Amino acid sequence: TTPMDADSDVALDILITNVVCVFRTRCHLNLRKIALEGANVIYKRDVGKVLMKLRKPRITATIWSSGKIICTGATSEEEAKFGARRLARSLQKLGFQVIFTDFKVVNVLAVCNMPFEIRLPEFTKNNRPHASYEPELHPAVCYRIKSLRATLQIFSTGSITVTGPNVKAVATAVEQIYPFVFESR
Amino acid sequence: MTGRVCRGCGGTDIELDTARGDAVCTGCGSVLEDNIIVSEVQFVENSGGGSSAVGQFVSLDGAGKTPALGGGFHVNLGKESRAQTLQNGRRQIHHLGSQLQLNQHCLDTAFNFFKMAVSKHLTRGRRMAHVIAACLYLVCRTEGTPHMLLDLSDLLQVNVYVLGKTFLLLARELCINAPAIDPCLYIPRFAHLLEFGEKNHEVSMTALRLLQRMKRDWMHTGRRPSGLCGAALLVAARMHDFRRTVKEVISVVKVCESTLRKRLTEFEDTPTSQLTVDEFMKIDLEGECDPPSYTAGQRKLRMKQLEQVLSKKLEDVEGEISSYQDAIESELENSRPKAKGTLASLTRDGSVEDSASSLFGEEDPEDEELQAAASHLNKDFYRELLGAGVSSSSGEAGGPEGGSRPPALESLLGPLPTAASLGISDSIRECISSQSQEPKPDPNAAALCFPVAGARGDGELDLSGIDDLEIDRYILNEAEARVKAELWMRENAEYLREQREKEARIAKEKELGIYKEHKPKKSCKRREPIQASTAGEAIEKMLEQKKISSKINYSVLQDLNSKGGGSLRGGGAQPQERAGARKLSRRKTPAGRSGADPVSSVGKRLRPMVSAQPAKRAAVGETLLLSSPSLGAEPVRPTAVVESGPVSYPPEEDPDEEDPDEEDGEPCVSALQMMGSSDYGCDGEEDEGY
Repeated sequence: TTPMDADSDVALDILITNVVCVFRTRCHLNLRKIALEGANVIYKRDVGKVLMKLRKPRITATIWSSGKIICTGATSEEEAKFGARRLARSLQKLGFQVIFTDFKVVNVLAVCNMPFEIRLPEFTKNNRPHASYEPELHPAVCYRIKSLRATLQIFSTGSITVTGPNVKAVATAVEQIYPFVFESR
Repeated sequence: MTGRVCRGCGGTDIELDTARGDAVCTGCGSVLEDNIIVSEVQFVENSGGGSSAVGQFVSLDGAGKTPALGGGFHVNLGKESRAQTLQNGRRQIHHLGSQLQLNQHCLDTAFNFFKMAVSKHLTRGRRMAHVIAACLYLVCRTEGTPHMLLDLSDLLQVNVYVLGKTFLLLARELCINAPAIDPCLYIPRFAHLLEFGEKNHEVSMTALRLLQRMKRDWMHTGRRPSGLCGAALLVAARMHDFRRTVKEVISVVKVCESTLRKRLTEFEDTPTSQLTVDEFMKIDLEGECDPPSYTAGQRKLRMKQLEQVLSKKLEDVEGEISSYQDAIESELENSRPKAKGTLASLTRDGSVEDSASSLFGEEDPEDEELQAAASHLNKDFYRELLGAGVSSSSGEAGGPEGGSRPPALESLLGPLPTAASLGISDSIRECISSQSQEPKPDPNAAALCFPVAGARGDGELDLSGIDDLEIDRYILNEAEARVKAELWMRENAEYLREQREKEARIAKEKELGIYKEHKPKKSCKRREPIQASTAGEAIEKMLEQKKISSKINYSVLQDLNSKGGGSLRGGGAQPQERAGARKLSRRKTPAGRSGADPVSSVGKRLRPMVSAQPAKRAAVGETLLLSSPSLGAEPVRPTAVVESGPVSYPPEEDPDEEDPDEEDGEPCVSALQMMGSSDYGCDGEEDEGY
């Protein structure tokens, strides 16, 4: 019997690739003005939003005229907040009365690599309700953890993609799935 | 019946007719129950003398045609719709299933799944076709039939991923675990399509063995089973001397050519491919392979490692080169006369690049001398380098150049390794900085240092750590703004033009007065069934609710209760038309409701004829409603009455029914008289049929 020492030997490096967050500015934004005066914006008039890209924390923000802003592309939660604040500051400079409220990290995407391969059909059989595998549609097994609201995509090469509401949930999800995956390697 | 109270008038005199299965109030004539299910059995004598049981058949699916009228419109409508949905679903399932050649048991199971789905409201917001396909596919999976989701999507002409999404959702909601697809299931089907004749069985067996081998070699996880099948069948066919081209196979198996080739290549990589046909049939290799994507990943890793090793070697080489160069320079210094002192000092202090450029930039006599010396040294140098065995970078650089311009070699050698060293050190620095972002504040990462701002509850912007200057750069000045505006205009010209055209169109329509504003569709609210004490009230309320027509004389409506002859206004619909229309509205059972449009249009035309006979109306209503059961036996609802439509028709029918009475100001006529009157031609016949 192989001991399930999930803590001792494993130093799995979980790489966060994307953090999505939202915040409000509590004021109406004139998209046209932003589009004209911002240096790095794309104005999508047909959908009614402005895309603004920042270089320093490399993020892309979608700005709506209602004042809601979605910020993607950050690689950590702090970076996301920093980028959001920078964005709000630049909007302030453009002349809008911006108030930085309702900041919330909505989604975190991370990648993780297992040092072994995984037998997907066996894995699905052992984890029936949570795992769903449809080889005709997607090569990975989709495993959902309801309690954490996290979704993991498990590939046969051992690499796992995790999405969850925050970084902690993502880490917990990986820890939870490790023993199951270890069984079916 | 004991103690039943009529909802309409409150009277207790209810007549129960078990033969027809009705409960009718004799006071106001409203039907309280229709199609009562009774437990007694009655017999009726036929014309031939035999007796037959009294009753009606109630279908299993339909849940009967409604027990209670009047108060239960909501329930009735809901149930009826549900029954219709199930019926419709059943029909579609059979239609699709027969195309797939599924047996009856599978179809029944699929129908059960569908019933479950409907009861869980999973059909809401989804095309019925998708849900049906998902149910069928679920059955296919649980039974293990060789049907692919692709087949279903072919039949329906729907994107296979959309179907897959619905299918996954269904499986999840119904908690049904569909067993994983085994490519072995598809082999007989494809083999049959590829027409191997007598050797069909043998080829299938070979292909099966191949597949099992592939499974062992980790080729099948995460891959479309049909692709694997295709590859296995192709190889099996070739093994048995059948010529099956890739094109034929992909037309049967429905994968792309590149996919098939890729599978074949992967199989080629496995050691099994080295066996001959006979060997393969007999021996089974013990070792297992890694999955192909894993090996590809490993290969990439190895490449990276190689590169790293090479770069390290470069560094070593560079070290050697620099040491050689130092040696050369010191030699040159010593051999140079003092006039070149300045230059020598320069070469001593400057970097290799400087020395190289200074070497170049010398005056001619010095140049020649130096060139001679350099070339002499270079040759040795070059040979030494080659002897050292590092041919990667210096060889490339030195090789083509070495023969032609010896001085250039040195200069190239100079910048090259140093450039390389620079590049490497840069990347190393980057790596360090990116790795140590959080723990170590690195000078590079200083700007990225994220002060974790305390939560500012009041919503103020925390400016710590934000570099204002940089943000200022984000804002364009006027000229730039203008240029950008023009660029944007040019790019989105199409969209802007469309907007302008649309506005122009709307303006024109407004002028012409036919401007139809397309409001976003609001979901139609279910209207409350009209509770009214008299039919007249019912009509009023109904007219209030529905769109007010300009053709109705409302003053007449006000005098509904009185017997004053309301003058009929409006559209002079002829009696024939009316009667004909009425006949239509009655007899038009095949079309049934057909969207209720013809009826409503008929109704609108006939509505102008609103006369003032409450009793007559009531009686008419009664006849209407009474006659409905007879028509109700047919599956399609007649226009009159009760259930099956969102709009409550009975009040509307009343004005309809009044139309035939052109006689204005007629006194209250008894029901019998009405029935006997010629206007009620068709009705009279029906009633007499009772």
